[in-house]
Amino acid sequence: MGDQAQLLPGTLDLLILKAVSLGALHGYGVLLRIEQISRGALRIEQGALYPALYRLVRQGRLKARWGTSDNNRRAKFYELTSAGKKMLRQETDDWGRLAAAIASALRAQPEES
Amino acid sequence: MSLLSSLRNWARGVFHRSALDSEMEEELRGHLERRADDLERSGLPRAEAERRARVEFGAYQAHLEESRAVLGAGWLDSVFQDLRLSVRRLRKNPGFTLAVLLILALGIGANTAIFTLTYAVLLKSLPVPNPQELVRYTFRSGDMDLSLSGPLYDALRKHETACRDVLAWSGEDFSMEANGEARKVQGALISGNGFRVLQLQPALGRTFTEADDVSAGGPQGYQALLGFAYWKEHYGARPEVLGRPLRVNGTSVTIIGVLPAGFDGLVSGQHADLVLPLAFEEILHGHKSMRLAAGSFWLTLIGRLNPGASLRGAAANLAATEKQVRAEADPQHIYLDRFFSAYRLSVESGRSGRSYFKVLYSRPLLALEVLVTLLLLLCCANTGLLVLAGVSARAREFAVRRALGAPAGRILRQVLSEIGLLAVFGLAGALALGWAGAHLLSAMLAGFGEPPPVDARPGPWVFTFTAALTLVSFLAAGLWPAIRAARIAPLSGIKEGGNFRPPTGTGRWIIPAQVAVSVLLLAAAALMGRSLLRLLLEDSGFRAGHAVLAAVELPNASSSASPPVLYAQQMVEELEHTPGINSAAAMSLLPISPSFSAGHYYSVGRDGAVHSDSTTWPETITPGYFSAMGTRILEGRAFVAADLASEQVCVLSASAARYYFPAEDAVGRYLYSGGANSEEDGKTKPSPENTFRVIGIAEDARFRSLREPAPRMLYILERDNQFSGYFTLVARGPNVAATSAALRDVLRRRLPGTPLPPIFTFDQLVARNLVRERMLTALAGCFAGIALLLTAMGLYGLLARNVVLRTREIGLRRALGAGPRDSVGLVISQALRLVVAGILAGLCIALVTGRLIAAFLYQVSPTDPWTLLAVAVVLLLVALAASSIPAWRAVRVDPMHALRYE
Repeated sequence: MGDQAQLLPGTLDLLILKAVSLGALHGYGVLLRIEQISRGALRIEQGALYPALYRLVRQGRLKARWGTSDNNRRAKFYELTSAGKKMLRQETDDWGRLAAAIASALRAQPEES
Repeated sequence: MSLLSSLRNWARGVFHRSALDSEMEEELRGHLERRADDLERSGLPRAEAERRARVEFGAYQAHLEESRAVLGAGWLDSVFQDLRLSVRRLRKNPGFTLAVLLILALGIGANTAIFTLTYAVLLKSLPVPNPQELVRYTFRSGDMDLSLSGPLYDALRKHETACRDVLAWSGEDFSMEANGEARKVQGALISGNGFRVLQLQPALGRTFTEADDVSAGGPQGYQALLGFAYWKEHYGARPEVLGRPLRVNGTSVTIIGVLPAGFDGLVSGQHADLVLPLAFEEILHGHKSMRLAAGSFWLTLIGRLNPGASLRGAAANLAATEKQVRAEADPQHIYLDRFFSAYRLSVESGRSGRSYFKVLYSRPLLALEVLVTLLLLLCCANTGLLVLAGVSARAREFAVRRALGAPAGRILRQVLSEIGLLAVFGLAGALALGWAGAHLLSAMLAGFGEPPPVDARPGPWVFTFTAALTLVSFLAAGLWPAIRAARIAPLSGIKEGGNFRPPTGTGRWIIPAQVAVSVLLLAAAALMGRSLLRLLLEDSGFRAGHAVLAAVELPNASSSASPPVLYAQQMVEELEHTPGINSAAAMSLLPISPSFSAGHYYSVGRDGAVHSDSTTWPETITPGYFSAMGTRILEGRAFVAADLASEQVCVLSASAARYYFPAEDAVGRYLYSGGANSEEDGKTKPSPENTFRVIGIAEDARFRSLREPAPRMLYILERDNQFSGYFTLVARGPNVAATSAALRDVLRRRLPGTPLPPIFTFDQLVARNLVRERMLTALAGCFAGIALLLTAMGLYGLLARNVVLRTREIGLRRALGAGPRDSVGLVISQALRLVVAGILAGLCIALVTGRLIAAFLYQVSPTDPWTLLAVAVVLLLVALAASSIPAWRAVRVDPMHALRYE
């Protein structure tokens, strides 16, 4: 698998929200979507997805319903609620700011005296 | 674990676990299948694809578990898991488990026992509607709580404005005749308005009205009520008892109702098996009826406040009307004045009815509550120390678990669940211990052959109290070590190779605090012990070591064939002629008992000065009294049989002689029985029957109580049938058992067909008189003993651990040339620092709070320096003993062995 990065703590929720924001998905679909949108750069332990999904449902950020998937199998589909949409916007902004700040901090050169 | 699994199944049903679980598992399985499908499509064989899917998924069970936890359905599972782990761990450490269980059970059990008494004596309410509205009229002087008289009741009731109405109650023993046999039944008389005041509905039939409380009981004769328990036991709870006739004290009465279940009268410790109207008193006392006697105090008065009225209002009203009440009850000021000079009429809450024990024991019980709470604090501290030591020992395990990803909360829960489990078993032990303790104490409080005066049965309140206490102890002893355990950093334990150091400072304040608490408990025990010893050793004026007494009560005094004195004299004579008995006598009132007597007497000095006193205690005795009771004659002589034929003679106690004849020799002088008005003393020539020639002076004897100074005593020779139906027999011989047997024999022969009166030794009488002191001393001593043990344990644990932790340091010192004394010094000096700080703190607190127990001490100052010094020395010795083993271990530290670890 080569060049994959470990997820930073707390980022899984954000990725799930992002993945689901593009359309209702079942759990495995969320996984595929994340790999797809990160172009395979992020590795997720697959099982860890579910506690995160349940937590988001519990927090009211996602809602879940049972439906039928591609090959006629039953599956649980997740989609964003309005609270989830708000959180996604908020977290995306925060993340952007944080990433920029860290990037600029890392670029800083020691001042020659 | 079949219990656990069945519980889990039950819980599953309750939380719809199966539905949630299967849904979750369906979702997770769906994921695995889809992944396997994808992998298969990418060219893997199916089996390999499925394997890969599972590997990629990670720990399936762990994720499932976590998902459950997120949904809140998993907590029960994890609690069971924690409990299972805890049970396993506790079983592997029986020493720790047993120690904690014992400490918790002792600490909480002691609290349960004391609280059972406190609840029964102080907190329990009468089972009537709105008991908080009830007020009780008290007539009190110190520990003495007098009843009130009939005329006082009538006058009080008339002038009472704060209360809707006031009832009168008197506990009585009735003699019920059934099938030609007389049976003693405990019951009471109640005024006709009584049940209206109490707002009590009968279980069956009706209660009394004013129409039932009249002479002869009204046109149908006297009506009677049965107690619920009595009705169940003797009448099989049959409703047909209504209308049935009974013979009570020779009079026919009719049962008209049954009292409600749970109501057992207004005086705690007495039963209300049979309740009759107050007017029935004329049958009980015959021509000596007390209903209209202003100076006969026999009624318990309880009123119910008007809506909105307060106890304070009732007290104010009473203060405002007291003068008028007294004047109406005793228009000639003959009977009441001397009582009102010593006793105070007041009101108190009548919520729990009347309790003689409340008067005597409310303060001691509160003091005991304080002591026992201190003990519990100690127990909690020790449990905490033990648990903390356990946590330290397992620090490596916790650190590893944290490093492997267990969250801190999980560790916290694990430690708490262990202590929780211990607390639950501790609670069971505490309840058993507390129950047994309360029974023991209430049996200790019981008189001779009487049922225990305090209901020590455990009730819901006591259970709630114990459970709450257990919860508090659990939190106090468990939370802090658990937090410590949860704070252990994931790596530190591993890094240091198992040489985990507990956070320093633990025990730095706990040990001194424990020592201080022990000082307090020990000081309380020592002071109470000293005052008990004083009471026992001080000269009481009785040297009646082998004396055996019997409180005789003649059956139906008024109707018996021969007057009581004949019975008494015959019995005394018979006893005197029994081989093995050296002396025997009869007396009117039993000394050092609740009975009490006072009369008005005066003397006229040679100079004409009149000395009168109305607190002199007249005791009617037979000639053998002084030798039987061991009271010495200081001057003059004791009675002889020939005195019966001459003029009336008397013996005075030393203090009475000093009072009546301050400037002259009392022997040969005269004492006169005073009339209603002391102003008249010495103005008229007294009649011969009111005149007594003093023939001797006896030493002072503490007739009332060993705790109280000796009253002025006037001993009169029994001659004119002055014993009523009650008198006390005393016999003395070298062998107590033989004397008791002889006494029993005589009583059986002389009083056939009546129940044998209680027979007891003089020592038992003393023990009963001092039961409060004995109980306090015994309990405080017990608590202090436990406290010392716990303190020693705590100190030992701390020092032992420190020696282990400082092995390297000690070894190094030894290698550098320090002798074994240095190692011992290291341990002892640490112990001394902690203990001395604790002792000083404890002594300071003892000095400040000493007055709290001053009330129960007898001629011992609560800050008695010698006692406190002795307490400090005992604690030092205990501390030295506790540190001797760790010190010895420190000496044995092998320098080479210790240094090898470096």
